[in-house]
Amino acid sequence: MGQTLIDLDHLSRSFGTFTALTDVTLQLPTGRIGLLGPNGAGKSTLLKILMGLIPPSSGTGKVLDQPLGGDRDSTENWRLRRLVGFMPEAEALVPGLTGIEYVSLAGELYGMHRRQAQRRANEVLGYLGLDEARYRVVEGYSAGMKQRVKLAQALVHDPPVLLLDEPTSGLDPEGRDTMLKLVNELGTDHGKSVILSTHLLADVQAVCERVVIMAGGRIRGQGTVAELCARRVDRYRLRVQGDSKRFQDDLRNEGVSFLSDNGRGDFRVVVPAGWSNLAFFKFADLNEVVIRSLMRDDESLEELFLRSVNA
Amino acid sequence: MATPTDNLLRYRPWKGTLRNPLFGSLAMARVSLQLMFRRKLFWALYGLAAMIFFFFFYAQYLVVWLQLQAANQTVFVAGFRFQIADLFKFLDKLALNGTAHTFGNFMWFQGYVAMILLSFAGAVLVGNDFQHGSLPFYLSKPIGRWHYVLGKCLGASGIITMLITGPALLLFFQAGLLYDWQTYYPDHWREFLGILGYGAVLTVTLSLLLVTTAIWLRRTVPLIMIWAGLFALAPQLGKLFVDGLRLDPAFRLLDLWNDMYLVGLWLLGAELDETRYGAQPPTWQAALVVVGVCVACLLYLRRRVQAVEIVT
Repeated sequence: MGQTLIDLDHLSRSFGTFTALTDVTLQLPTGRIGLLGPNGAGKSTLLKILMGLIPPSSGTGKVLDQPLGGDRDSTENWRLRRLVGFMPEAEALVPGLTGIEYVSLAGELYGMHRRQAQRRANEVLGYLGLDEARYRVVEGYSAGMKQRVKLAQALVHDPPVLLLDEPTSGLDPEGRDTMLKLVNELGTDHGKSVILSTHLLADVQAVCERVVIMAGGRIRGQGTVAELCARRVDRYRLRVQGDSKRFQDDLRNEGVSFLSDNGRGDFRVVVPAGWSNLAFFKFADLNEVVIRSLMRDDESLEELFLRSVNA
Repeated sequence: MATPTDNLLRYRPWKGTLRNPLFGSLAMARVSLQLMFRRKLFWALYGLAAMIFFFFFYAQYLVVWLQLQAANQTVFVAGFRFQIADLFKFLDKLALNGTAHTFGNFMWFQGYVAMILLSFAGAVLVGNDFQHGSLPFYLSKPIGRWHYVLGKCLGASGIITMLITGPALLLFFQAGLLYDWQTYYPDHWREFLGILGYGAVLTVTLSLLLVTTAIWLRRTVPLIMIWAGLFALAPQLGKLFVDGLRLDPAFRLLDLWNDMYLVGLWLLGAELDETRYGAQPPTWQAALVVVGVCVACLLYLRRRVQAVEIVT
């Protein structure tokens, strides 16, 4: 731990006149990282660059000290793809192969000897709870089993970095929980760095220590989940006692927005620039309302995400 | 019952040497053949190919036996008298005499079954990768696009070798054992190399063509239609133009199988006058067509495999 996982310096990527990534600068330590963004944010382009599938148009970058760039079939990019275990979003199964054959083939494609790949495939399928299903063809697997066998093929050569693209896609709640637990434990207990690319905030909150929010080809926010959500200085949580209707009207007239009201005197508000907290007490006094508590309110990841994307 | 996360407690790291991506191509070829061998249709067509091989095998043996044992004898069939020597006139047309034409003819006839089998194989070998989204599985690994193409071509070439080149070599060795092997093998080294060369031409051309058409079409039925057009319709057109309408023999170049046959005969050292049809184009033109087809396939593959999205 403590090693730099990703080091990108003013990275951009264009496809003709369309710019998919603009001036991305990122330094992330090893660990569990969420890559969050809506469709068209540039996540896929960034993943392709991190895997050495496409070079950046400008800028430089490294993944675990392995430089990015050059032709996708160059030796440096092969070396890079050996460091990464990729679990694609697409089905990406080979029809007709059993689970053990599929994972074993993945091992051989990573460069393992055949016997080693077979042995390792047996081990990994056991770790992921697919012992009994290993000799069945993969088309017959349930959605959860398919996701696990895809994770197995990413894990077969024991890479230091796992790149998971929508790993909970198509799973029911139980399957999703199992997958997230597996990913979490691979990161916490077995030292894997995980880059989780998803649009599901709950997955990021469940697994990731750090989040990178992307939109429109740019980085809109990065940091730990706690840091990002605690950065709001203009939001408060109020608890009042008394008839608060006129109190609320007065606050609204002063430009305060109400995010939520539970009807029992608990509010979450956003105050305008230059607001002084004394104003809460002034209006409370005027409207014979008692303020029981006043504290800064952390933003939820969802709200942060929406704010970042819409900025 | 142990949950997946309980099992993960037993996760062990792995350390080892990783090999060159070329070994990945070999793994892909092996798996492709494995998938083909699981299809019953493969074995049904292979049985048909085996019948053609056994016909040549036993006929070659029969010719030698008749020549040595019964050349001057007479037999009665349905009340009619036949000289054994008359049979040779018929069997000589099939060239079942351990010469270059024996192997050329065998490889020609075996091609009929090979074409049918390859047209079914295309979907299994390659089409499924595009249709079922398996390509990201391959190309996200530390292998190049050309390793992928090479792996698939090696899989196709395995089928061609099993059907055509391998059995032709067996016929060559059989011929040597039936005649005087101590003189046959040294005198017919050209045929041995010719079989390997002809097999190589078939392997390279057909595997590239198969991979290209499978990537283009992906499904079995359109693939069969295209192959029927290339190897059934085009030869008939060539025959019509040259034999029927007496046009320039260059029209026979439409028949790709005939083009490969001409190149094969040249490699086997066989005389062109003894070929199947009367008017044939020069061998160099046939070779040019074969090379052109290969180059066109490579250019298409380069463009098509480059365009695959690994991460969507």
